[in-house]
Amino acid sequence: MIITKKREHNDLMENIKNCNSLFLLGCSECATLCGTGGEPELRAMKEMLEAEGKRVTGTFVSKTGCQVLGTKVELKQFKDALAETDCILVMSCGAGTQTAVELFQDKPVYPANDSLFLGNMTRIQMFDERCSLCGKCILDKTGGICPVTACPKGLLNGPCGGTNNGKCEVSADIECAWVRIYNRLKRLDQLEDMKRIAEPKDWSAHKKPMSLNAREKKEEVEK
Amino acid sequence: MNFRDALNSGKFVVTAEIGPPKGTDIKEMLHDAEMLKGKLDAVNVTDNQSAVMRINSLSICKILLDMGHEPILQVTCRDRNRIGLQSDLLGASVLGIKNVLCMTGDHPDAGDHKGAKAVYDIESVQLLRVVDSLNNGRDMMGNEMKGATDFFQGAVVTPEANPIEPQLMKFEKKVSAGAKFFQTQAIYDIDKFRDFMKHARKFSVKVLAGLVLLKSAGMANYMNKFVPGITVPPGLIEELKAAGKEKALDAGINIAARHIKQLRDEKICDGVHIMAIGAEDKVPLIMERAGLL
Ligand code: SF4
Ligand code: SF4
Repeated sequence: MIITKKREHNDLMENIKNCNSLFLLGCSECATLCGTGGEPELRAMKEMLEAEGKRVTGTFVSKTGCQVLGTKVELKQFKDALAETDCILVMSCGAGTQTAVELFQDKPVYPANDSLFLGNMTRIQMFDERCSLCGKCILDKTGGICPVTACPKGLLNGPCGGTNNGKCEVSADIECAWVRIYNRLKRLDQLEDMKRIAEPKDWSAHKKPMSLNAREKKEEVEK
Repeated sequence: MNFRDALNSGKFVVTAEIGPPKGTDIKEMLHDAEMLKGKLDAVNVTDNQSAVMRINSLSICKILLDMGHEPILQVTCRDRNRIGLQSDLLGASVLGIKNVLCMTGDHPDAGDHKGAKAVYDIESVQLLRVVDSLNNGRDMMGNEMKGATDFFQGAVVTPEANPIEPQLMKFEKKVSAGAKFFQTQAIYDIDKFRDFMKHARKFSVKVLAGLVLLKSAGMANYMNKFVPGITVPPGLIEELKAAGKEKALDAGINIAARHIKQLRDEKICDGVHIMAIGAEDKVPLIMERAGLL
């Protein structure tokens, strides 16, 4: 899921200083699990804004904020509240915010959150980054542990000289990705995978902005 | 005799490290370089060591070359992508630099520009392959170039890394990627180093033992605590302590000299790389006491 955190209060207030009224849009998926865009957060945001003298014309937690068409359909019921508002404050990720940007051509849309990474939820509201969406997965060669993400240097051919009793030189809070990979491959009797030299990564597989038409591909298969 | 020939001749080689300064005043560095002239088989010039921004390695290598030194260009992958690295390597080649030391490089987090974007587009093993490819007249994409490089390329290894197995696997990858010589992280335990060399001797590569000059017991304790892959045995720390504050550096010089002598007399490795870290002027004294001058 996409991990988000609340933006600094002052940054947010600066963004909306010229808006007297706001419509709050949350998301029931990642932002809800992160505690940044579910019902309780929208309620708290509404209270805070009203305490600051703003008017909240409506609030809604969309099913999936990054889903443009679905969100558009869901928002139909709020026609009046949306017509009244000076701006839309989106309490999901940067993708959800830009859903609203696409849907509201004539109103400013502001993000209430900072979007951080693609994360695994390890416990309630605790998240780890394990994949950085590099565009060409190499987990098949690294015992299923991603060095592109888990090693601060993104090394592909084994540990640097900085491994320190299995910890990373960059921070003792990080387990050295390559020691983890080594241990796992050893357990699986697949150390051969680590002996092969990994080619430089093809970063063109990650050229911005990415887009994908999965529909087209399906049709090709059907033909 | 150049560095490559010296190593291949079987001579016990000695290299030392020069760290380019931050800023344009290079008087002190030139003074140190002058003192070392004619005494070393090569000088190794660091590349923004510890991720602290300084003069680049290439410029200082060229200055040292013009002084009559044999420079080794350190190249890290932290600050340049594959285009920048290859381009700088070609530049080094036309400036007459013959030796390169390929390393991944300390993370920006260790340095004085912590917000810098860490590049690591390629890393040490892949960089060694790149150098091999340039030596064969092609860039890393296989494009033919007008004129090849003729580098003697080396790499680094940490003999006391913990755990050691993945480090040794990487060492082997570096060998097969074309590393001709290795410079090690600082070692202080000769017996342990001998074990590492037993492994390294299975490959046809030259190994220079890294020696960091100990200046005080405090420094030794600091390295034990904070520098991964370096272990100063308690006996040496005692020796530094016993020497007292004033004589600690002198004791450190003795330790380094003693180690060099042992490494050479017992033919444990092919040479040493002395890292005096700010006390470059003491290198001749270390060599003298080791019986090398
Ligand atoms: S290699 Fe790592 S970053 Fe790339 S897709 Fe696989 S898990 Fe994600
Ligand atoms: S210590 Fe391990 S995880 Fe940290 S940078 Fe080096 S190889 Fe990567």
